[in-house]
Order: sequence, then C-alpha cells, then structure tokens
Amino acid sequence: MTRRLRRPGDGWRLIGTALTVAFALLWLLPLVFSILMSVRPTRSSIINGNIFFACDLEEEPPGPTVGVGPCWFTGDNYAGAWEVAPWPTHYANSILFVTGTLIVQIPTTTMAGYAFARMQFRGRSLLLGLVLLQIMIPSGILIIQNFAMIRQLGVFDTQLALMLPYWGSAFGVLLLRQTFRGVPLELEEAARMDGANWLQLMRHVYVPLSIPAYISFALISISSHWNEFLWPFIVTRSESVRPLTVGLNKLFHTTDLGANYNQMMAGTLIVIAPLVVVFLLFQRRFLESFAQSGLK
Amino acid sequence: MTVVSPAAEPRRGKPWLQRALPYLLVAPTLIFITMFTLRPAVQALWDSAHSRPRANQPFAYVGSQNYEDLFNERHFIGRQYVKILHNTLVFTGGTLVVSLPLALLLAMLLNRKIRALGLWRFCVFYPVLLPMIGGATIWAFLFSDSIGLLNTILRSFNLGTVPWLLDPDTVLPSVIAVNIWKQTGYFMLFYLAGLQGIPRDIYEAAELDGAGLFRQFWNLTLPLLRRTTLFLLIIGVTFGFQTVEQLEVMGRGNPANRSNMLLYYIFQLRNEKLNTGHVAAMTVILALILLIFTSSNFFLFERGRHDEKA
Repeated sequence: MTRRLRRPGDGWRLIGTALTVAFALLWLLPLVFSILMSVRPTRSSIINGNIFFACDLEEEPPGPTVGVGPCWFTGDNYAGAWEVAPWPTHYANSILFVTGTLIVQIPTTTMAGYAFARMQFRGRSLLLGLVLLQIMIPSGILIIQNFAMIRQLGVFDTQLALMLPYWGSAFGVLLLRQTFRGVPLELEEAARMDGANWLQLMRHVYVPLSIPAYISFALISISSHWNEFLWPFIVTRSESVRPLTVGLNKLFHTTDLGANYNQMMAGTLIVIAPLVVVFLLFQRRFLESFAQSGLK
Repeated sequence: MTVVSPAAEPRRGKPWLQRALPYLLVAPTLIFITMFTLRPAVQALWDSAHSRPRANQPFAYVGSQNYEDLFNERHFIGRQYVKILHNTLVFTGGTLVVSLPLALLLAMLLNRKIRALGLWRFCVFYPVLLPMIGGATIWAFLFSDSIGLLNTILRSFNLGTVPWLLDPDTVLPSVIAVNIWKQTGYFMLFYLAGLQGIPRDIYEAAELDGAGLFRQFWNLTLPLLRRTTLFLLIIGVTFGFQTVEQLEVMGRGNPANRSNMLLYYIFQLRNEKLNTGHVAAMTVILALILLIFTSSNFFLFERGRHDEKA
C-alpha cells in the first residue's frame, strides 16, 4: 500500500550510535593509553613530552625493540616491572586471600541463611538485626578498632588477619536466605520423610537448587576482596603476605615518577590484566551477579 | 552413620539438638560480626567520649568534648575536619550529579538493538572491576604535570598546562572525574535492569497517542525508574563516604587537605597516640552517616520486597 513512513526515531538512532561509540572510546582511553605507554621505550616519552603523537626518536633505543614506522616498541618495561616487586608472591597472596575468605564464607552463610529462612526460634528477629548491622556499618570504616583487635589476637601480618573480618557475611546470609525461601517446602518435607538429617537436606535439596545464587555470591566476594586495599595495607607489613593491590601501591610510591612511568604502567597492567581477562570470559555472569548485588 | 533406634534412646537427644540447631547455625556468622562490627562500634563510641591530655596519663571521661572539637574551627583538629567533611560532601555530590544522568543515558543507549553490544558494554563497565588502586595509578599519570596526557593535549593546542593534582582548586574535581569514570558503569547496570523491566507496549501506546521521544522520557521512563534512581542515590552516598584508594595514589589528600576525605583522614591518623578520642569521634560520625543511608535503603527496598513475596 503506502510506503513505510519514516519513523521519527531514525535520526535519533544515528545520534545514539555515535554517542555510544564516543562514550565507549572516552571510557577506554585510560586503558589504551596505559597499554601504549607500557610498550614504548622510556626515553622517547620523556624527551618529547608527547607520548601519543610523536615518535620521532632518531636512533634505536638500547635493548630489544620492534620498530613500526617511526615508532619503537619494547618489552623492557614489563621485564623491568616484573623484577622490582615479587609479583608471583603477591599473586599467590591475593589468590589465597580470596579463596580462604570464600571457603569459610560458604558454610557460615549457608548455615545462617537456612536458619533465618526456614526455622522458627526465639530471638530470631533480634539476631537477624545484628547480622544486618554489618551491612549498615561496613567493617571497613572501623579500621582502627579492628586493627587493635588483630594486634590483640596476635595475628598481625598474617593471611589470617586479612580474612577474619570477612568470614561472617551479612550480604551472603541475606542472599541465601532469600534464595532458600524460594525452595518449595514440600521438597524439604519429602526429604525429612525419607529420614534426611540437616546436612543431607542441605546437600541434596537446598544447595543444588541454589547454585546460581552461590555463583553470584562467589563472583562478588572474589572480585571485591581481590580489589581490596585499605584493610590488607593496614594489617600486613611483609611482602610475603601482602596482596597485589598493596604491592602495586608500593610500586607506585617507590617509582621515580618522571623517569619510570612506562615501567609503572607495565606494572599496573600486570596487576589488572587477569581480572579483565576473567571478566571478558564470564561477562554475562558478572553483569547478572553485580545487578543482583544491590537490589537483593 | 550410626542409627539410634527410638526404643534405645527415648526422645531425649533429639529435641535438645533440634532446639539448639538454629542457634548453632547462626553462631559462626554472629561471632564474626560481633568481633568485627559490634565490638569495634561500641569501642569507638566509648573512645569518643574519653580523652587523655598527655600520652602517659590515663583516659578520662570528657562527654561530648571530642565531638565539639571536631566542629570548632578554632581547634587545630576542627580546622581540618570541617574542611574534610566539606570535601567529602562535594566529592559525593559532584560524582552523583554527573554519573547518575550519564549512567541513565548510557543504559538507554545500550538498551537498543545495536551491533557489537558486548564490546560497548565492556568499554563502560571494565573500570568497575579494576582495583581502584590500578585505575587511579593510570589516572595519576594522565593528570601528571609534565608528561601527562591531559597536559600534552592542552599543550598541542597551545593552551597553558594545568597542574591538576598539585593545585588546591583542581585536585578535587580531578579526583571526582576518576570516580565518575569508575562508578558510572556500575550505576548503568541497575538502570539497564530497570529499563528492561518496563513493558514495551507502554511506549507503543504513548507513541500512538502522539507522544514524542522527549515526552516519553519525561513522562514514562523517568518516573518508572524513580525507585532505581533513589536506590542508586543512596548507595552512591555510601560509596562516596568510604573513598580511600584514589586518594592514596592521587596526592594523599594534598595539597593542604583540599582533596582529603573522612575515611582517608581517619586512616592517616591511625597511629596518633594523643587524639584517639577525636579519631573515634570521627569514626562514630561516619558510622552514623552510613547507618542512616543504608538503613533507609533497607526499609525502602528490602521491606517492600518481602511484602510482595509474602
């Protein structure tokens, strides 16, 4: 019949796409910039004061380099950054910190989550209120008092000091409480009829039906502790227990800024690369979990 | 597994365990929360009402003196504290004023059928996942005086350079910019979820009624996302008041405490022996601010959810 009318949205669609690309590039700029910096020879950036645009270094810089047009690229900064800090130790510490935290969190939150979801007992509301207190007053702001506690317990400068405050997780308890409430009560009754005890009930009914919640909780717990800085910084002193974030901070403050920014950027990328890769692999899961983290 | 026959063990063990079970289940969580939230909170409250004039003298009860000192501009600690409280408010407000509308815009842009959606989403969301220390390190470099990217660009247009992190007037806006870059992707995620919850036919009906895109936005999208916006405002404030990492990398609160903020200041004073009362008072005030915001969040949203379910 008539030709399809030009919808008013068509012009907007073009503007929308342009805006999307513009914002994406703007947001990506720091990452691109740091990657470029990390593969450029140190001298060229200092001499020109012009990192992006000028590649007019006359002679080839010392060390192994690759020339592309007038620009020289090198892996020296990564080699240098790798040597100034014990990265494998920091990596191992970060991994130990997040796994050690999560491994204890899972049973403690499962137990409390079930009790608050499905059991009637005296003082339930009061105890739940106590648990909520941890969400309302994040333990991160009570650093001074908690530091004194760690000293008293005699665990200063150990992995245990990093993990202890996180072994009880109000967020995890609330998330699992909500999830467990969605499990049909008939399944529990049927299992009880078959003579299942509490552990069996958890193993065969509640936990298998709540796997997505556990994955969300694990992703959020791991990524937040992996990125944590203040608490590890305060309760540790030796490099042999300090995680990546604290190592990176030390590198930043001990680097002679004018002379070695290229190496600094290489060090930063060594630290953040694994997380970016993991995110790329599990993008959808991450986004879903993060969206859950607030509204639950 | 040992099976106890009911005849041999007449009912005594079981009800006891059954009654104790819920308490046993919540005990581990409660022990850790008591140790690292309840006890330190009470301690901060107690410390904030005590003070000692010299390092070797015992603590004495001083009532609200420590709190009064914090807000007394003639007291040496009050001069800093009021400024730092002001910085924190400007930082939090400045971040939210830009990042919330931007997050909504980005969510609307990414809530369409476009090519390479995952790529664009990654570009905006990746800062959320980076450790703030890493992100701030990159930005400290972008802001660097002689060789930073921003000044390089300014120079190539023959505009004067700006000492971003060294000038008392530009340091706070610089730190705010980094925070916007870091948090907008996180806020966007919630707007995206909110937008996807709005049924499409509402817009079709509005279009039939002749409502243009702007009318649709003002009269439909914005009101329907009111709850999301309120929620993001509240968590945005709680994030702002716990800012530490970027300050550690971007000037440590300098120059002249013009970029310092509440939690970072507490952290800086952690080894002070004489002002423990003042620092505890700061902790209590910060805890109260967070308590007000997070509990309002809880009563506005968590409560409503359970009512819907029940």
